[in-house]
Amino acid sequence: MNEPLTTLATQRDHPMEAANGTETSIVYDQLDLLSEMSREFTNSRDMTASLEKAVAHITAYLKAEGGALFMLDAAGKTLVCEACVGATEITGLTVPSDQGIVGRSVQNHSAEIVRDVQKDPNFYNKVDEETGFTTRSIICAPLRVKDERIGAIELINKQSDDGLFSDEDLRLLETMCASAGLAIHNARQADALVEQEVLARELELAAEIQRSLLPMERDDGYPVHGINIPARTVSGDFFDFFELDDGRICFNLGDVSGKGMNAALLMAKTASLFRCLGKTIHQPGRLLAVINEEICETAARGMFVTMVGGIYDPRSGIVRIANAGHEPPLFFDAAATCNSFEAEAPPLGITTFLADGDRYPENEFQLAGGSFYIFTDGVTEGYLADGSEMGVTGLIKILLAGADRTAAERLADVVRAIEEGGGAIRDDTTLLCLEDKSRADAAQSIDMEPKASTDYMGDEIMNLQVPSRPDRLKLVRSAVSQAAAYCDCSDEMVRDVVIAVDEALQNVIRHGYSNRADGEIKVTINRTVDNFLVFIRDYADTVNVEQVQPRNLDDVRPGGLGTHFIREVMDEVTFLPPPDGRGNLLKLVKRIA
Amino acid sequence: MKHEIREETAGIVVAFEGDVDLQSSPDARKVLLDCVGMGKSVVVDLSKVGYIDSSGVASLVESFQSARKGGRNLVLASVSEGALRVLKLARLDKVFTICDSVEDGLSALG
Repeated sequence: MNEPLTTLATQRDHPMEAANGTETSIVYDQLDLLSEMSREFTNSRDMTASLEKAVAHITAYLKAEGGALFMLDAAGKTLVCEACVGATEITGLTVPSDQGIVGRSVQNHSAEIVRDVQKDPNFYNKVDEETGFTTRSIICAPLRVKDERIGAIELINKQSDDGLFSDEDLRLLETMCASAGLAIHNARQADALVEQEVLARELELAAEIQRSLLPMERDDGYPVHGINIPARTVSGDFFDFFELDDGRICFNLGDVSGKGMNAALLMAKTASLFRCLGKTIHQPGRLLAVINEEICETAARGMFVTMVGGIYDPRSGIVRIANAGHEPPLFFDAAATCNSFEAEAPPLGITTFLADGDRYPENEFQLAGGSFYIFTDGVTEGYLADGSEMGVTGLIKILLAGADRTAAERLADVVRAIEEGGGAIRDDTTLLCLEDKSRADAAQSIDMEPKASTDYMGDEIMNLQVPSRPDRLKLVRSAVSQAAAYCDCSDEMVRDVVIAVDEALQNVIRHGYSNRADGEIKVTINRTVDNFLVFIRDYADTVNVEQVQPRNLDDVRPGGLGTHFIREVMDEVTFLPPPDGRGNLLKLVKRIA
Repeated sequence: MKHEIREETAGIVVAFEGDVDLQSSPDARKVLLDCVGMGKSVVVDLSKVGYIDSSGVASLVESFQSARKGGRNLVLASVSEGALRVLKLARLDKVFTICDSVEDGLSALG
């Protein structure tokens, strides 16, 4: 059934055969066996085939009727026959690791010889009963490396008149098993190494994808900066920020429970949900609630995400945040007084039942030259050089000490304090800073004005995009009309709002895009408690606001009426600075009386 | 936008139906100027115009001026509430003669 390993047989049959029985030949044979098996394992990568060849070789060498190689399973409870040659086919046979002669040999790290098996109480005679084979004599030696039990090789019945093994046979088997054990051990190590390398490569790939989920670092003047240092290759922490069409900046920082691959996967999912949904849901509390529903629906049991999500308006300086079970973020106002925002709602993925119904509670404040920080517990639980935990107090100290440095430098200061302190970082370490130095000077004047937040905040009712074609105006009028009615505008107000939007779009098509049909126009409708807001975004050349003036109506002539209509019917008409400097953003406000 | 022209003894009656906006106002303008070019005064029936924008209003103004230049008149009849709002915004409700019906309009042409 199993062919003896031909190369080994050849080597053995000639130079070794003649010298069989001498110490030198035994040593040579050991080396042969070891090198052959090693080569076999390396070349074939098929452990079972290599084992079969090894057993066949040993069985033939010791002139036994049959041989079997047993391996101990991972739990160490069972011996499994992995390869066998000769007398009876028992591949796959399992023996409890504390039974039989094989079991005894493995347990005791000892070579066993049973000249007459029928007299040995440890003999496992089930095989003989089932196969009709008569076992007379057994030698068995353990396969092991140091204290690591691998298994054993058992030979049955010497091919001689009495069929009995000698002590010399036993000694030979024992030494050959030592070599075989080493070869198997090496092969396993090599396998594990290969597997480890594959895993490491995959993990590195996962980490690379994760890093790509983080936003690009911006220049010092940008209001948001973040840093993420994973404790392992992949991270359960994340942060992100991105700009909306109207110039506001959406940001977040989150921490997935647990570490490792499962945390990293949930992190990737949550970060993607935030980025995707954050573009259309502009209220942090509502945004977190929608993400929560998604995670609750599909997240693995027991995993959750703590997160602070927010939106910052560089024009008004207003920050709105929602906290889902996360470490309280810190806000240092311009006078360096520190406030924290405790989470008033559970982490994402715990429950869809929220005290505030369909949203997480929000906090709103004026940045006004201050600095806002969100961070994970990897920061506060990091060790400092004196062996103590950094804690919130330690963090505040470092942040205040770096007040004159840039936000990015300050965040790096915090990470360095932990790296220098505890040696290896124990937990994923992530921080995000929001501060707007460009607004620091404006802080005073802003405070004097009534809160401008309601000017662009509020629920988004509708968002539609049309090409700059006159034949789409009817569609827009219809949609705007429905949206205004939906927002409880009176019939007159609906009519006026429709006129204003229609005229504004006409201006964009005719003057902005010079009647080109391939321009892009976005109409967004928001409502607050008492305002109906329309944002009209285009990517045409930026208009000179001074030139967009209503005409003198006493001069009866065609054209130039549109702008007048808009100003006449709306309560507020403003050209906002277009985000990233391209095109125009017109804001129209109608008060809902 | 659709339109219908019929000739009466007192003048031309042109009736528009649908929205007169940036899409359709070039057509409306042409129709109106053609009517004026027929050498008679014109009654513009706006009863079936739900929406008229500044470009539509501009066409009306242009035709009105053209008619006046030729010594004729152009009056508006059955102006819907939406269209009236726009005319009022342009302060044109005082410039145009606005009649309740086409019949009144024809009479107004005198």
